[in-house]
Amino acid sequence: MPKSLYIDPQATLRPEEHEIVFPRIPVMQYDKSVQDELNEGNFTREDLLHIYRDMFTIREFETMLNLVKTTGGYNGVPYNNPGPAHLSAGQEAAAVGMAYNLDTDDFIFGSHRSHGEILAKGLRSIEILPEEKLRKIMEEFWDGATLKVAGKGFEGSTRELGIRFLLYGAMAEIFARTTGFNKGLGGSMHTFFTPFGIYPNNAIVGGSGAIAVGAALYKKVNRKKGIVVANLGDGAMARGPVLEGMTFASMDQFRTLWEGDMKGGLPVLINVMDNQYAMGGQTRGETMGFTFPARLGAGFNPEAWHAERVDGYNPLAVIDAFRRKKALLEKKEGPALLDVVTYRYSGHSPSDQSSYRTKEEIAAWEAEDCIKTFAEKLTGAGIATPEELEAIREHIRGTIFEMYKLAIDESVSPRMDLVRENELLGDMMFSNGSVDSMGDGTPEVLMPMEENPRVKQIAGKCRFHIDADGNKVSKMKAYNIKDGLFEAIIDRFYKDSSLIAYGEENREWGGAFAVYRGLTEALPYHRLFNSPIAEAAIIGTAIGYAMCGGRVIPEIMYCDFLGCCGDEIFNQLPKWQAMSGNILKMPVVVRVSVGSKYGAQHSQDWTSLCTHIPGLKVVFPATPYDAKGLMNSALQGTDPVVFFESQRIYDKGEEFHEGGVPEGYYEIPLGEPDIKRSGSDVTFLTIGATLYRALEAADMLKERYGLKAEVIDARTLVPFNYETVIKSVKKTGRIIIAGDASARCSFLNDLAANIADLCFDYLDAAPVVLGSRNWITPCHELEAAFFPQPSWFLDVIDEKMMPLKDYVPVGNFTSAQQIIRAKKGV
Amino acid sequence: MPKQGQSVESCIVSEFKKKVGDSVSKGDILFGYETDKATFEEEAKVDGTVLAIFYKDGDEIPVLSNVMVIGAPGESFAEFAPTAAAKPSEVTPMVPEDAPLTANKADNDVNGAITSTIESGTAPISPRARALAVKLGVNAAVLRGSGPGGRVIERDIKAAVNCPVSGLARELISEGGFIAPQRGSGLAGTIKAADLKPAAEEAPDEYEVVKMSNIRKLIAKSMHASLQNSAQLTHMLGADATVLQKLRARAKKALEEGRTDANITINDLVCMAVIKALKKFPEVNSHCLGDSLRIFKTVNLGLAVDTPRGLMVPALKGADQMDIESLSKALKALADDCRSGSVNPDLLSSEAASFTVSNLGGFGVEWFTPILNVPQSAILGVGTMVLRPVLKDGQVSFVPYMGLSLTYDHRAIDGGLATRFLKQLAAEIENLELDI
Repeated sequence: MPKSLYIDPQATLRPEEHEIVFPRIPVMQYDKSVQDELNEGNFTREDLLHIYRDMFTIREFETMLNLVKTTGGYNGVPYNNPGPAHLSAGQEAAAVGMAYNLDTDDFIFGSHRSHGEILAKGLRSIEILPEEKLRKIMEEFWDGATLKVAGKGFEGSTRELGIRFLLYGAMAEIFARTTGFNKGLGGSMHTFFTPFGIYPNNAIVGGSGAIAVGAALYKKVNRKKGIVVANLGDGAMARGPVLEGMTFASMDQFRTLWEGDMKGGLPVLINVMDNQYAMGGQTRGETMGFTFPARLGAGFNPEAWHAERVDGYNPLAVIDAFRRKKALLEKKEGPALLDVVTYRYSGHSPSDQSSYRTKEEIAAWEAEDCIKTFAEKLTGAGIATPEELEAIREHIRGTIFEMYKLAIDESVSPRMDLVRENELLGDMMFSNGSVDSMGDGTPEVLMPMEENPRVKQIAGKCRFHIDADGNKVSKMKAYNIKDGLFEAIIDRFYKDSSLIAYGEENREWGGAFAVYRGLTEALPYHRLFNSPIAEAAIIGTAIGYAMCGGRVIPEIMYCDFLGCCGDEIFNQLPKWQAMSGNILKMPVVVRVSVGSKYGAQHSQDWTSLCTHIPGLKVVFPATPYDAKGLMNSALQGTDPVVFFESQRIYDKGEEFHEGGVPEGYYEIPLGEPDIKRSGSDVTFLTIGATLYRALEAADMLKERYGLKAEVIDARTLVPFNYETVIKSVKKTGRIIIAGDASARCSFLNDLAANIADLCFDYLDAAPVVLGSRNWITPCHELEAAFFPQPSWFLDVIDEKMMPLKDYVPVGNFTSAQQIIRAKKGV
Repeated sequence: MPKQGQSVESCIVSEFKKKVGDSVSKGDILFGYETDKATFEEEAKVDGTVLAIFYKDGDEIPVLSNVMVIGAPGESFAEFAPTAAAKPSEVTPMVPEDAPLTANKADNDVNGAITSTIESGTAPISPRARALAVKLGVNAAVLRGSGPGGRVIERDIKAAVNCPVSGLARELISEGGFIAPQRGSGLAGTIKAADLKPAAEEAPDEYEVVKMSNIRKLIAKSMHASLQNSAQLTHMLGADATVLQKLRARAKKALEEGRTDANITINDLVCMAVIKALKKFPEVNSHCLGDSLRIFKTVNLGLAVDTPRGLMVPALKGADQMDIESLSKALKALADDCRSGSVNPDLLSSEAASFTVSNLGGFGVEWFTPILNVPQSAILGVGTMVLRPVLKDGQVSFVPYMGLSLTYDHRAIDGGLATRFLKQLAAEIENLELDI
């Protein structure tokens, strides 16, 4: 909603054009022969033979895996590979054609069926990298561990060594060996090798759709060379992250609002490997309605994404298309879409009996096989004799067999011993880095920080909730949680050139809750912008941005919308650091605002969903001091942090930290709960805004019964240091764990179970969980019956811990009622 | 002041663009103001002259209150002045004091009924209460728990420790809200309802908590052990001290005349009489070991000495071998050693003495019940001398009587023996013959 873009009713209501005209989308227009290409000087004889070699290498690699899966061995050497193998035999021309024009600055992202793409990009990189650089990459990777096995006793050329290294590294990864490209933690569907520009493949169909767009955003914002290719299947074009990612990549603002050299489209190419099948569903004629995936481009922008449908059975047709698209992206005219026609011979996986297609259909495509027909073209054009081609094939078979034997040999290709080294994988879940700036440039800002209107406004505020005279400071004049978050974030924007932030209403509006008020004046468009209402794209692009080396703060306006980016938060963000063997870092701080007052779809506390997923850090501060200190820590780190904020308490002043919130930079380490009030008779452990209701309950308990409650604010849920809580429970013998999440399956229960376990001998009553009811959140006027209230604390103390004299309970916390509610499922 | 949004309660005026007396036209900017989220400008809605401005730049103004008055010159404006902001209404308590009992209370009563059916010894107990019971030596199995479902919880163990609790007091403690003292005012320290203090009325200013010194802790421990581990009771008998007074006067004279260097006190004389009596009642000069008696052939006399660091009871070994002068000197030396802290610790052991004398006569105490220095079988408490009327030959005369309180362990000594010993002691005192 920038004011510079005027919505003219005249032009809107009475346009000059009265129909939408779509650009024509070319279909299978390449018609050159090998001879034509040679005549035009596009290829040398050697280039063409390498294309043949690369296609056959992929074919033999996939054949090997297919034989291992279906016959239990290869060339008579038995091996059992229980893991997945989604093979791409048939798609070699599409893969090699895709990789031909790319160098190591160009990144590819893939799918579950990407062995061919990895090998094609790897083989091409080995071909074009300077030999010295290639050798250095291999020698430095895992401190030479992979090269040591692949290159043992080999005395051929560096490039030949590179091919062995690539084949062995990929195989070892697929067979879960520590010498694999990702220490065996990625496996078949997540094998990648970033030094060659090969970025993660993704076992979630369409998972790369938004991540690749984020990688392109990284290249653009940080002025890095290269384009980004997302290799997706035709089935993936049904997936939300792909469509949302395309929406994000299509944003007008890249051309209308971004300024200077930032003006122009994202360098991203969605490359659809149209192999006709989405598992067993047929995209054309059955499960989709687009006829050709290329048609989708027309829905996203006036250029129809420069979409084209090309012949993926002819590597030269694909190379031709990629050459033109890459040039276009480099001129900032992206994004672009290619629909590459191909066919897979094998089933979705080796267990697929192809019951949905006829043998005749497979045979007819095999008759057109891309490798066979390309060989015929080469011999027909006099490039090579059949014997010369057979010699190439023989050499490849030999190399693959050799690498196969090494990759399955436990003595040189061991697996991680997670039984003996019990914490090895646990220690890989987080990178736990501390990095001031992920960027290497000078941060681009529009004014000195001290001139910022928000900074000036905050300077006039009181940083503690009572002033020097001991009077309560009014809401308007109190430094609050929003101010704490703002100070941490603007500080980082002035420190880290790579930091960007975006989400819905992030710019002029200042975020729906005004945390970013003042940032618009401070930052150019490309560092702070409004995104489409597309949560999967907001988080997905942030993942791609961070994976490439940037730091980013995506915002989810209401916690409830986490459901809209479920795959990104649960399947992508937490996984890549460990799944890459710790090669990738993920410095993403997802700001999530927890609502209230707005009913069932805008008031839910979903912290527990995030704590359940290994690989995410989860933070939920409740005071300005904690908000600033924890945000500073989150932004200094290199791990994904889901940073929850409560709309109930955004304007709370600082009531706890002596001397108020410090003006300078300070960090509060993630994972340390904080005692907000000490006591001796019962412990209250709270999550988020529930802290203030627990304090009210503590007051009531003191006034009426002379009992002193110790109130601990969890502050961080993952990680979590239990020692503070154990010490408290040893003292008090009783604990209530309270938060606003619906009680069933909430993290409150996890805390309760662990405390019962760790403090059993010190407990005078079982830990009691006080969460919200297992209902929809009712309207604001009825919320007191839903969210934990101060009276609930006294109710459960009386009912479950130690009966209070003459106490009249407000709610029903009896065991009988607990059982009845569970029976009813509420 | 316009209300900008649901949650806005007040705004801050950034700058007044008009001052009193300025004429304004519809659409002129009157003042700028801001919420925490955004800044706004307020335009004049009418033409006129600014008659009044109730605030200044930077003031925080509640929404929907008057900021300025525009009118024709001369019009009155005072009636538009904003009133002081109403005090925020008091928070209503969640539950009125007189709220009727809810169904939940009935549920509690049901739980109560279940409690009463729990057999003694089978009540559930919390892990914390169990650990505390073991630590404090409380038999938790016989307690009635005050926790949910009759569970024995921490406070039940605390209430049960050390001293008995009356039925009513137990009831009150169970209901919560009361703090029981360590020891009650009833028989044998029984905590009675009257001893309970409401928990809320805790007033820390009334006392301070002072840590016990180590010697105090030792005294406390041995005194407590004495009462717990023996069957002690006290007999009291008066003795005519006329002879003692005469002997004391002679001794004083001898000291003044330089015939001796011993300052023989009344206590020394009593001790001498005690030694003589003990020689005739060896069972009293003994240690009670539960299943046997250790009867001493000599008298190792314990003497209670008040020192700045607390009570000490050194033993004088072989006291029966001494004449009055040496006994007096030895007892004095021993008491001095205690006060200076140079006493041999071995002599302070309760095993070192066979019988103890504790003299409070000097302080005017007439009678008292000394506590046994276990394993010793008996202890003598010596009181002050009081003049008693005595009828002799039809004449009433006043005689100085000394209070003798004998505490003894009934396990070792029967009442008859104790009485005979006490009478013997009185006779020794009344007929003491010493060569002074």
